[in-house]
Amino acid sequence: MLAGIDYFIVIAYILGMLLLGLYFKKFVNSSEDYFLGGKSLPFWAIGMSIVVSDIGALDFVGVSGQAYRYGVSVGNFDWVGSVPAMILAAFIFIPYFWRGGMYTIPEYLGRRYNKSVRTIASVTWILFFALDLGVLFWASAVLLNVLMGWPIWISILSTAGVVGLYTYFGGITAVIMTDVVQMIIMFTGGFALVYLSLDAVGGWENMVEKISTMGPEYRSHFDIIQPSDTKSPFPWTGILFGLTFVMANAYMIGNQSIVQRCLTAKNEWHAKASMIFGSALKMFVPILVLFPGLMAVVVHPELADGDQALPMMIKSILPPGLVGLMFAAFFAGLMSSVDSLLNSTATLFTKDIYEPYIKQDATDKHYLKVGQITTLVLLVIGVITSPISSDFPGIYVAIQTFMSYFQGPLFAILLLGIFWKRTTQWGGLSALVIGIGFAIFLNVFKDQFFTIEDPFLYISWWSFLLAFIINIAVSFMTKKHSEESLKGLVFSSKILTQNKSL
Amino acid sequence: MNEVEIGAKIKNAQINNALGVFIITFGIIVIFAMVYTETFVQQMTDLVAGMVLVIIGGGMIWKSRRTIKKFKKTNEK
Repeated sequence: MLAGIDYFIVIAYILGMLLLGLYFKKFVNSSEDYFLGGKSLPFWAIGMSIVVSDIGALDFVGVSGQAYRYGVSVGNFDWVGSVPAMILAAFIFIPYFWRGGMYTIPEYLGRRYNKSVRTIASVTWILFFALDLGVLFWASAVLLNVLMGWPIWISILSTAGVVGLYTYFGGITAVIMTDVVQMIIMFTGGFALVYLSLDAVGGWENMVEKISTMGPEYRSHFDIIQPSDTKSPFPWTGILFGLTFVMANAYMIGNQSIVQRCLTAKNEWHAKASMIFGSALKMFVPILVLFPGLMAVVVHPELADGDQALPMMIKSILPPGLVGLMFAAFFAGLMSSVDSLLNSTATLFTKDIYEPYIKQDATDKHYLKVGQITTLVLLVIGVITSPISSDFPGIYVAIQTFMSYFQGPLFAILLLGIFWKRTTQWGGLSALVIGIGFAIFLNVFKDQFFTIEDPFLYISWWSFLLAFIINIAVSFMTKKHSEESLKGLVFSSKILTQNKSL
Repeated sequence: MNEVEIGAKIKNAQINNALGVFIITFGIIVIFAMVYTETFVQQMTDLVAGMVLVIIGGGMIWKSRRTIKKFKKTNEK
């Protein structure tokens, strides 16, 4: 448990976040302000927010833990698993989403394919986000319980109260701007941790030498590329095909909570620059997250659970003040994940379900109110379902796995939708449905198809490939869309020349 | 520059000002936490990290206040 100055910092940080979030209420006057920040935010704030939203607190701890267990190969997730995808998103996909004045990714799919594709994609995201909320509430409560000694229910309610209030009132502006603060603090504390950890292990070369002589299981700890028959979950084949080609792109291009941030940019230049700036920041993430995990192998070689590596390093290496600040940033990371889910789900529900199916042509104030009420309802669902996570420890992994199966087919239809005029509504719909079905099939019978324990990278690759082929085959058999209906929705070299004049 | 653009500039500056206040406050707290450190290296780490936060926060406040002043004057004209 924390004590003294560190305890004070965590409390002050939580209260400060609440006040900061509430301050943004004055900038919310319409549904566009609530869901897209009035399309007025600068690239640097959005870029920072994308990085924070991506790494989150659970990933921070998890990646350090994997670096402790498997070594530097986990860094692939932040380098080849993010940077190329973010560049692709910035130059190809984001301009279409931004110019189209879209609020959601399913909205693009609806315009490019049909309403069914939009609804399936949206409902899947809503389900995933709603389930994830309970897990994140529980994780936040456990963190507060361990750090501050608060009872679990008090912890859940205080997290929900703080996050709920500022997301309800401040919308996405509050979500993005609280992320900016968190990123600055996480990076400052993170670099201090890396510097002090290196000092504690006697420098980089000394650490490499010590780890290399610790036993055969540590021999490949410094190999960024792992052989295809490795026991770790990161064989190079999975990294290249599953991660770099499919999951990274699907995440950066098809994830509502990431793309929605870019759509808040004040103009197209800022929208693209936010992704590029985010990718530059992403290059530093492995240094901050992975290195402490590696150094923990030397400082705390006896850890039973690798996920304890980062918290242990923070506690044993950082001085008072920074310990509190880093733990506060962790908690803020969890809050950031929760507020992203709340706002993105409210946007998906209002724009893709409520507006087309329940009440069309209502006033803007009405949709703003619907978005805010949806946020509150989700908050209540998250609080009620959070204890379920404690009964099923594998639920977080299961939800993430479920998401990875959806991403392959989703990326296949997004990719063909942008780059191939000939793809049709029936091609997209069948690819999405059959692709998801195939991913579920592979997961159920994974023991018969794959040799590694957790083949999520391979499953996303094969489901992507099948969805891609199905989309092409069905599109050739069905009636193509008219040129007029595809205007502004498919890639054209004109968009590059138009950009020069921006 | 029209009124809407000026309004957006002022809005962003107000947001940055609020962020700056938050960050500078925590920078000062981290510098204050030097009192509780035991070694010289710990002391210096708190000092450097705190100073980084104070400089970032201070810079944001300075820049945003200048922007607010400048655009409010333009608006009045």
